[in-house]
Amino acid sequence: MKSTFSTALSLLSAGLLGITLSTSSVAHDRFILPSHTVLSSEKTETVSLISSISNDIFHPDMPLGDNGKGTPPPPMIPLFKRLQSSVVTPDGNSIAGPSWQSYSRFSAADQILESNGTYRIRLMQPDTPMVTFKDAEGKPNRIFGPNPQLPSGATEVVKRVIRSSVETFITKGEATTPTTDNSDQQLALGGETHPNDLFSNEPLQLQLFFNSQPLQKAVDVTLVKQNSRHRNQRQERKVTTDSKGNFEITLEDPGFYLLSVELTEKADNNDQLDFYHTSLYVTLEVFPQ
Amino acid sequence: MRYLIGLLLLCLPLLGSAQQMTIKFEIPALDVSPYHRPYVAIWLETPKRKGVHTIAVWYEKDDWLKDLRQWWRKLGRKDAAAYDATSGATRKPGSYKVHWNGLDQNQQPITAGEYFLNLEASREAGGRDFVRQKIRWGEPGEPQQFELQGDLELSNIQIIIE
Repeated sequence: MKSTFSTALSLLSAGLLGITLSTSSVAHDRFILPSHTVLSSEKTETVSLISSISNDIFHPDMPLGDNGKGTPPPPMIPLFKRLQSSVVTPDGNSIAGPSWQSYSRFSAADQILESNGTYRIRLMQPDTPMVTFKDAEGKPNRIFGPNPQLPSGATEVVKRVIRSSVETFITKGEATTPTTDNSDQQLALGGETHPNDLFSNEPLQLQLFFNSQPLQKAVDVTLVKQNSRHRNQRQERKVTTDSKGNFEITLEDPGFYLLSVELTEKADNNDQLDFYHTSLYVTLEVFPQ
Repeated sequence: MRYLIGLLLLCLPLLGSAQQMTIKFEIPALDVSPYHRPYVAIWLETPKRKGVHTIAVWYEKDDWLKDLRQWWRKLGRKDAAAYDATSGATRKPGSYKVHWNGLDQNQQPITAGEYFLNLEASREAGGRDFVRQKIRWGEPGEPQQFELQGDLELSNIQIIIE
């Protein structure tokens, strides 16, 4: 008998059947969009944020996270129970993050910022097993769970673990260097350029970290500018990291950008698992000169 | 004694030849309602865009200092005490002159060399101007004069170094 967990997850995957499973991406984009990323008041400030799973940037489509008081679509409740909301404060401590409350198309939350410095807001999905396959008619599908029951005639069965972190940075007063310490098998963004010191037409020097170490495997970093619904081309910018996770990009237009990375690695133990997919989604605000 | 005083008086013009910078500009009268006085910042940066000194910052609430985007990122947010002495309230439309004698917040003369002199203005429910001018400082003898225009918030900007 399947557990309620995996039944609910199966419903989730059934609801998301419209996704094309390309080899380069296993998931929709997701983002946090804050009301502010730069604040200058000395007193305690509050920022309001929304979070969403959506391929339109930054137009919300589905919510991401619920504190039990919202109205999440039922198939998403198991996912929301797994999400971990945290904030890394300017002194480097990780504390409970925004209390995301689900509406029909996005989740919303407030975050209080007391002391000055840079805050890293994170919404993290820990290791989630998933199996992709093709059914008897050759149509791609997927089911969540470590050993789900597959329909007869299933081919190209691939066992994956997906995990992701959705983040943004907010600075009140003087900027501090945000920590890239992660002990949770996730990616982090760091580098020479501070994430709240981004301006158009300036080279931005950034760096990816994995498990607190500079990422040694070259990956593509994708940036998509806000307002994708109001133009006819997606206008993705792609840049590849070097052997230390460094990359540089100059953005001509100001606005909010979604930076996304998907790191795919073959698992060591082929019997149990084929691939790990680690994704990072960071919302960056770029100001005009 | 009179001989010594005479010698001292002769030397005074040399001592007094320290440079002075005068920044003149106009805050235009705009036909908008409600009208909010602009926040204004004037500051010095190195050619590599490192903030050096805030010459003046006019504002009301620190909530909106961040809208002086370039000044905030290069100087404002790093050290509030540093611009305390040169801050003032916002001003109504009119012509203004700001003087600077080349001393930083610790009353130390800044090093001679090339700098950028920056002006930025931001008005609530209005626009934002940001202009900059390369200048040479600490080399008296050759006076410099520059004229700049903002887009809307600042006009008839003159930078006079003598």
